[in-house]
Amino acid sequence: MFSGARELGAYQDEPPQLPSGSFGKNAMLRLGFEPGPHRSLLRTLHRRAPLIVQQALYWDEEMPGLPCVSIISNAGGILQGDRNVVEIDMAAGSQAHVTTQSATRIHEMDANYASQTQELTLAAGSYLEYIARPIIPARNSRFIQATKVSIDPTATLIYSEILMPGRKHYGDGEIFQYKLFSSTVEAARPDGTALFAEKFVIEPDVSELSRMGVMGGFHVFGNVIVLTPKENADALFDRVTPAFDADNEIAYGASRLPNDAGIIFKVLAMESAPVMAKIREFWSEAREIAAGHRVPENFLWA
Amino acid sequence: MVMDIRMATVIPMTTIMTTEGGGSDRSLSELLYLLQFADSALPVGGFSFSNGLETAIQQGIVDGPATLRTYTETSMWQAATSDGVAVLCAHRAVEAGDVDELMRIDRLTYQRKLNEETRLMTVRMGKKLCELSAGMIEEPLPRDWFQKIRSGETPGTHPVSLAITLGTLKANRRDAFGVHQYGVANGVLSAALRLMRISFVDTQKILLDVTARVDTAYERVADATIDEMASFSPIIDILAAVHVKGHVRMFMN
Repeated sequence: MFSGARELGAYQDEPPQLPSGSFGKNAMLRLGFEPGPHRSLLRTLHRRAPLIVQQALYWDEEMPGLPCVSIISNAGGILQGDRNVVEIDMAAGSQAHVTTQSATRIHEMDANYASQTQELTLAAGSYLEYIARPIIPARNSRFIQATKVSIDPTATLIYSEILMPGRKHYGDGEIFQYKLFSSTVEAARPDGTALFAEKFVIEPDVSELSRMGVMGGFHVFGNVIVLTPKENADALFDRVTPAFDADNEIAYGASRLPNDAGIIFKVLAMESAPVMAKIREFWSEAREIAAGHRVPENFLWA
Repeated sequence: MVMDIRMATVIPMTTIMTTEGGGSDRSLSELLYLLQFADSALPVGGFSFSNGLETAIQQGIVDGPATLRTYTETSMWQAATSDGVAVLCAHRAVEAGDVDELMRIDRLTYQRKLNEETRLMTVRMGKKLCELSAGMIEEPLPRDWFQKIRSGETPGTHPVSLAITLGTLKANRRDAFGVHQYGVANGVLSAALRLMRISFVDTQKILLDVTARVDTAYERVADATIDEMASFSPIIDILAAVHVKGHVRMFMN
């Protein structure tokens, strides 16, 4: 699906290891959540390594009926030639929380690229939190991701991504030394009516990332998209006070998406921890408005 | 309002399409109408928008000629890879007479404006510009497009209105892109004059320097398709978010 993407033009060479998209490099996950008598259930689970999901756990003390799923990779990250597919299907009235086991490392590359396609489908009244842990794109890595969301007007999606500058403290420090990070998120209603689209094509060699207006002096970028009915979005927007706080090295702010789709929230800081903390605050507000509960305190080991 | 403009100025197409030699492929009249549509005095309301600069100055991120130059460059690069692509694609659609494609481009451009003030800016300027060209140019497309904007059939983003205006006047695609990029730079720099202590010499020098790089930007996006519109400027996005909730402000963004 990405073969036509211009930004991949220079990266079509096959890896000397396993061919791109071959067995072991074509991970697939299909998760289907449905409401049960007492709590939502992970009813459908198709998986093809290296992406693995074992089972839903119910670890959220504020929402004990919320099935929580960790996406695991037995490849230890994303490698050249990988073609991942993740599909999450939320049946009407179901709820779920999906996260990743740890930071997603996009390993150093010397051939080809890696891609990930995500399809999130939310039926009426469903509620999905997809809060991945940070992505670390190593030197020379090339990664492209397309996320397609189909969402009923009564459903809520909280989708979060955190992009690190690279292996920041490795060796002399790897800041923005990856080749390509391309990400597109598109959302539409089930009848196909488009809501919004966001596309980044980040190529640090082509356009300097540290320039003012782009990342400036910041290193870590967090992006949260909340798609929710308008009254929720209005309430959430009112609760966020944006700030550009140079002294504390953090900046964040929320904007209203077009077509009353919801809210987009962006955070910039120097390390992952303050970005994750700020996202957690925002996510908690969004959850309280959409699902009536706060987000519990972070685990001590997380 | 529409009627007033129509009565005031009607440019006959024959004058515009005249071509002469004189050392350039472009006739003098062609040059002048490009200048007319790039002029910051063109009444499309561009002066109300600072492209996030107001907050950047309040936050001390832009505090002099050097930082203003970088801010202008970033704004132009982001514009080139997003709205600039829309101008180029819409211009192709104008040449092909493909109104459905124009509507698709207009919709996709609007859907990529993820802040309410940037949306307001693009549709307000787009509508004003189209109203103006509908009253000035004796061709059906600007008039039909203005009707579509008014009836809510299409959002009416600025890059599409610009491509319709310049495409109808037979300006080529590259020139239309140039006019767009000039408008972005000039918008930021004229706002700077009203928002910070900076001299005309400094802003004009910056304008001269940043416009010198427009060819590189054009080469980068010349054959991009509309799905390739992309931008990445989280700082400008956050500044826009701060601006929406700001209490003291002069500009609409």
